[in-house]
Amino acid sequence: VAMARRRQAAAVLLSPPSSEDEANEAPEEVSFGAAKEAAETERKLVGEAARRHRELLKEKRRRRQELFAEQKKRKLLPEAVLQELSAAPPAGRNQHRLLLGSNSRARPGVSVVLGSVTVLRGFTSLSLYLTRSKGNYMAVCLKEQSLAGLHQQLAKDFLNAQLYGPDANRAQANEFFSLENKKDPVKKAAVQFVDKSWGEYKMSKTT
Amino acid sequence: MGEFEVHRVRFFGLVPAGVRCLVCQPRGGRLALARTDGAVEVYNFAANYFQEKVIPGHEARSVEALCWAAGDRLFGAGLGGDITEYDLARLCAAHSVDGCGGPIWSMAANSSGTQLAIGCEDGSVKLFQVVPGGIQFERNLDRRKGRILCLSWHPSDTHIAAGSIDILRVFDVRSGQTVQRVMVNYHVQKVKRECIVWSIAFLSSGTVVTSDSFGRVQFWDWERGTLLESHTISTSAVLSLAVSEKEDSIIVGTSTGATYQFQLLPVKTGSLEKRWVRTKPFQHHTHDVRAVAHSSTALISGGLDAQLVIRPLMEKMQKKGYEAALRKFTFPHRRLVSCARKARLLLFQFSQHLELWRLGSTDETGDDGEVLPLRRMPEHLVQLKSKGPEHIYCSCVSPCGSWVSYSTASRFHLYRVQYEGDGVSVKKVPKVPKLLLPAYQLQFSSDSSSLFVASARGSVHVLQLLEPGGCKHLHTLQPPSGSPEAVYLLASSADGHWLAAVGGDWAIHIYNLKCFKHHCMVPMYSCAVTAVAIHPVTNNLVITYSDQQLFEFSIPEKQYTAWSRMVQNRGLHKVWLERDSPITHITFNPKNPSHILLHDIYMFCVLDKSLPLPDNSTLLMNQGTLKQLPETARQRQLHAFKICKKFQPLLFADLLDEKCLVMVERPIMDIKTQLPLPIQQKKFGT
Repeated sequence: VAMARRRQAAAVLLSPPSSEDEANEAPEEVSFGAAKEAAETERKLVGEAARRHRELLKEKRRRRQELFAEQKKRKLLPEAVLQELSAAPPAGRNQHRLLLGSNSRARPGVSVVLGSVTVLRGFTSLSLYLTRSKGNYMAVCLKEQSLAGLHQQLAKDFLNAQLYGPDANRAQANEFFSLENKKDPVKKAAVQFVDKSWGEYKMSKTT
Repeated sequence: MGEFEVHRVRFFGLVPAGVRCLVCQPRGGRLALARTDGAVEVYNFAANYFQEKVIPGHEARSVEALCWAAGDRLFGAGLGGDITEYDLARLCAAHSVDGCGGPIWSMAANSSGTQLAIGCEDGSVKLFQVVPGGIQFERNLDRRKGRILCLSWHPSDTHIAAGSIDILRVFDVRSGQTVQRVMVNYHVQKVKRECIVWSIAFLSSGTVVTSDSFGRVQFWDWERGTLLESHTISTSAVLSLAVSEKEDSIIVGTSTGATYQFQLLPVKTGSLEKRWVRTKPFQHHTHDVRAVAHSSTALISGGLDAQLVIRPLMEKMQKKGYEAALRKFTFPHRRLVSCARKARLLLFQFSQHLELWRLGSTDETGDDGEVLPLRRMPEHLVQLKSKGPEHIYCSCVSPCGSWVSYSTASRFHLYRVQYEGDGVSVKKVPKVPKLLLPAYQLQFSSDSSSLFVASARGSVHVLQLLEPGGCKHLHTLQPPSGSPEAVYLLASSADGHWLAAVGGDWAIHIYNLKCFKHHCMVPMYSCAVTAVAIHPVTNNLVITYSDQQLFEFSIPEKQYTAWSRMVQNRGLHKVWLERDSPITHITFNPKNPSHILLHDIYMFCVLDKSLPLPDNSTLLMNQGTLKQLPETARQRQLHAFKICKKFQPLLFADLLDEKCLVMVERPIMDIKTQLPLPIQQKKFGT
């Protein structure tokens, strides 16, 4: 009977609050034991939920790491090619120059354009691999554009700042030309107020 | 003149690029000019300042300095860091050399034209040798911190003066060492701004002239490092200066658009001691004058308002005639508009795109001068953007309106335009024949079946246009004795029999298109050709020259016509010869064979060959007075030149049909409001 009463009390505690009329009544009398048990169950449930959440995050992290490892492996050419390249001298005879590896190995400011790499199995020499590859593929060594472009932009900024910067005392076009209109022997309205569309297109008679 | 309905077009939104560099050819009589969009032009002084060569710009090309070297070779350098040589026969950039100093701000040739010095962003001055076929790096001079904005050789080529920020430096060329360093900011108290030395000149007396951002023109003794004279001429920067060959006159240009002349004058009459005095002020420009040049007889200035102003100096002129008149050029000396008469279409050429417009129409009629309401508005049909950074050399629309073509430095494009109801579709012709590019002029035949392509070395390619949208190379026409220069003007006859081609050497060759043979050459004249056209009925070739002369040459008879000889004997009217701008388009009225229609920037003229020629005592522009006279009096005073000055600035005029004209105007104010900002002007009383 005591256990039934405890269970009942726990059920009452865990169940949603009853309707409004009953809210005016005094709270139910609950024994200490029942309350303790209710708290424990609740703790257990929350704990399990937290643990599941942690597991899920761990799983996610693990999967992401695997994906990165996979991508890194995919980026590099097959092991055999890399070995041959590190052994052979840099290929220079044709116009295409290949720069391989991650960005840290490439010279700063040089972009490398590589199309999709087709993996050939059973090749015998590096040069065969390079000449065999067809498809939309061209690797080029570009001029150090980024650095030159930066210098040019700095130069242009200097010029702009000097001619049109805050000290330059420039006037808006309509302000400037309205002044001329007002100084003319025949005074005209300010440029802004002259109806521009009037002169756009006309057909007129002339002899 | 007759009654015409005039389509007055103002929607060609051309904004010419500002003038950035000017340099006179030493002992050559030519002026090289560079614009802010990278275009390079050459003007011929003797040919009435005709713009004889144009090299279109490039998106990546910035020209900060231009100079002539080794006689007639032209070099440019800019913020891209390269020194480029321009091929003036093939009108393109020939080759480039990397200066290896970052952006290049200035360049100057030594007096013998054998070496080029460049001033770079990294503070170095580098010397290059001018060799046949290109330039070669020689050595670096002593490098210090501070970008070299301007430099100038001493006439003896022993020293170079360079202007930077707050400093002017003098280098000994042989040792490469800096032998003098002068702080130009020294005399300005309590100033937080830096003093930018925008331009510099080294005189043979050892005086260095500088102009700076504080509006001062200063004269320095370089050996002692002292300031001789200082003139504050403006509240804004003095951006450019140029010295005459005799070193007795200097022209300076300021940010406000004002230019000033300094002259070396004796202190008292007869005194040997001379001083530099600011003599003449000019206000020809509204925007910054970043380029000035000094020829032996004129002060030349170019502004960011796209104007080139040539002010001849009175004291240098033999006679005070038209030669001493002020010349102002804003618009190019060539056609940028082509017209498909039957289809009533206009093609506008911009630097990087084309616009095809259909003209509006009206049903009303009215009195002289009346503005008629439009039934249908003009339509902007197609905008063709040129792919890539190169600017457009030439463009054309066929008379039927179904073909549009244009050329850049390395690409040639042909499009088929189809009109379905109110809509328009444009299709690119895929396989165009491989030609040596660029094309300098394009012209469709009058029946729209062929396209003539003006090319280098005097050649003209004839392409056949095929339906539904294709093109085949038929033939290449060449002058019999060859020519180093490119063809820049073309005219074809209405019957498809003849083609006239004008080359950069000013020779006019006429070809027979039926057998693709050279027919004859028009006798050489001492001036540049500005426009040519073949009469549809008589097959007479009408030619206008840059000195405003007019000739009519009969192609079948291979000689000048009787009318042309009469015009030459009588001489053209003085007012006609003293016009400021060249004729850029000639056309005819099929219904009235004795009429020749031509125009320049400021006037439109119907030349009636059946009427008597005016002599110098008659009023040339007499249309206004004629209208007020009674009929009998009018008949007595009529003469051949019927000129209308109502429409200006006129970029293009053509006859659409016997009763209809189209006039394309470009009001100057519309251009000015789209330019970079001008300096604030405080005027008294406003």
